Amino acid sequence: MKKKFKLIDLDCANCAAKMEDAIKKIDGVTDASVSFMTQKMMIEADDAVFDRVLDEAEKCIARVEPDCKVVR
Amino acid sequence: MSTLTKKQKKELIRIIISLAIFACLMIAEHAGLLPRTKSARPFIVIAYLVPYFLAGYDVLRKCLKGIANRQLFDESFLMTLATIGAFGCGELEEAVAVMLFYQVGEFFQSYAVGKSRGAITELMSIAPDFANRETEDGSIETIDPDDIEEGDILVIRPGEKIPADSTVIEGEGLINTSALTGESMPRSVSPGTQVISGCINGDNLLRVRADKSYDDSTVMQILELVENAASKKSKTESFITRFARYYTPAVVIGAVFLAFIPPLLSGDFAGTFGTWVLRACTFLVISCPCALVISVPLAFFGGIGAASRQGVLVKGSNYLEMMAAIDTLVSDKTGTLTEGKFRVSSVRTHGDFTEDEVLRFAAAAESGSSHPIASAITEACEEKIPQSEIRDEENFAGKGIRADVCGHSVFVGNRGLLKDHGIDVPEEGAAGTCCYVAVDGAYAGLIEVADMPKPEAKQAVSEILASGVRKIVMLTGDSEETAKITAGELGISEFRAELLPQDKVRIVEELLKDAGNGDDPKRKLAFIGDGINDAPVLSRADIGIAMGSLGSDAAIEAADVVIMDDNLLRIPAVIRTARKTIGISRMNIAFALCVKFACLVLGAMGIANMWAAVFADVGVAVICILNSMRMLTTGRQ
Repeated sequence: MKKKFKLIDLDCANCAAKMEDAIKKIDGVTDASVSFMTQKMMIEADDAVFDRVLDEAEKCIARVEPDCKVVR
Repeated sequence: MSTLTKKQKKELIRIIISLAIFACLMIAEHAGLLPRTKSARPFIVIAYLVPYFLAGYDVLRKCLKGIANRQLFDESFLMTLATIGAFGCGELEEAVAVMLFYQVGEFFQSYAVGKSRGAITELMSIAPDFANRETEDGSIETIDPDDIEEGDILVIRPGEKIPADSTVIEGEGLINTSALTGESMPRSVSPGTQVISGCINGDNLLRVRADKSYDDSTVMQILELVENAASKKSKTESFITRFARYYTPAVVIGAVFLAFIPPLLSGDFAGTFGTWVLRACTFLVISCPCALVISVPLAFFGGIGAASRQGVLVKGSNYLEMMAAIDTLVSDKTGTLTEGKFRVSSVRTHGDFTEDEVLRFAAAAESGSSHPIASAITEACEEKIPQSEIRDEENFAGKGIRADVCGHSVFVGNRGLLKDHGIDVPEEGAAGTCCYVAVDGAYAGLIEVADMPKPEAKQAVSEILASGVRKIVMLTGDSEETAKITAGELGISEFRAELLPQDKVRIVEELLKDAGNGDDPKRKLAFIGDGINDAPVLSRADIGIAMGSLGSDAAIEAADVVIMDDNLLRIPAVIRTARKTIGISRMNIAFALCVKFACLVLGAMGIANMWAAVFADVGVAVICILNSMRMLTTGRQ
């Protein structure tokens, strides 16, 4: 399943790149991208583990930029 | 400044206040108004800390959170470390200035990026906000476009957006397609016309039947393409992100060495440590790769936006990058370079007949036929003979037609037809498809019919070649002869004729080798087609460009670059846009790296101070962003 999420207060481009890296490394993620320009995150992962992946992705984002929130 | 968000306004006020306090302090200090006694020193430090905290408290907070999350190399951490270092060395002014200007830069970045985003979302404004559905009892309800179902009757009022791809059932008028095609001429619609979602209705009310749901409509496909385009990264962008990953840690490690090694080697650790720490701090200020990381994607984003304003959808930054490096352009002929429709190209007369007469007789005789050549002739004839004067039509399959026109017996057809009926036809060399005309048993002339090149094709070819494409190759299933004429007219030096559809892939593969694919991956091959019959070729080429694709799902699916209308001039335009994008991003990379490395070297030697470092970080980022923002106005009409 491929899903897109809006990110609020994603303030730095380098952070977006770091988030993307971190999310790609989550177990079960087939593809991911974080776009600083569109303020959007795309995650592609198996349906079965998607919720867990999303939770972990949220943690990754909070680690890199604490103010940034994912709109679910 | 009305575009500032609430958050940005607050930031701005904060920056201005701290800047004012800082300026007062500096003026006071340099004017000698501040006491220089040792006992007054702590108060001065505290005075400087006021603007420092006011400007930078969020940076400090982020830094603490970063430390808690073990994100040591983030920019807040680096800035905090650098400014604390400067404070520790007693460089109060520098410390506050670094923080302050870092914030000014951040503010400016967020303003500029927000503005660019706005320019792109303007493009997204093609998305309709609502739809008016007609219910069974004839009343009209306003619904979310998502709720449109196939077959729904929709009412589109003047000035409203067409919410889904549909067919007009009532009403006539003009619709504005410029948001989708970049074409400013409105398109006229009448019952039976298919209309595309995202177009804006003119002055008349239209009733339409939805052919597709909102999700399947053109607008959604386009929006999705543009959004996904940002995630298909160009090589330049990936290079920058990879570079950033090593750059920051390397500079930070360099800073640590710089702080400790020289003082240890000098033998006078305590005496020189302060100087070297300060130099290390300048390193930290320069270590953020922000200028590059923001400005390069911004340029590509702007480039894709500029292309869409020209009516060209580029499906990813990587394709935009490749467009700039096209070496060979392979084009389909029929329907791409030509109109895909027969038209009369010339009329030759014989005996006493005038061109007009020949055309009129032929058009009358052919008036009952639906053959493409017949319709070309009837279309070309301006003064038509009334239908009542045309009698006894007779069809000779594969040869032509005979009819009585105003009492004259008229034959229109190939040479064989006239010969069969004992009419003498002089030998005339003609290249295209010819229709011979005879009136009352005498040869009257011939009408040449051809698939005409599009009016802008010649200009497009010369512009493409001028833009640096090495060669254009035309592919066609037509005869060698016809191909030669079209190629000659357009100024295309190379063509392959008499091809079967499956030959095209083979030829594209041969040309791919020739374009240097493999040895020199920088030289790309692009294929242009109508996108309907060319799917395999479109995907085999480095870049598949589909023309005239508005509303054709198959073409949008198969191609990498989609030209919404069928104007060939869009191709050189998008190549130029691509070149400009690449140019700007390279310029930014070179400029930022040069300034940063120069600053690092000079900083290590103690020549560049913290002020220079702030410029190398924030100033460069701002300049690069401004440079990238030039893309946002490209292609605006």
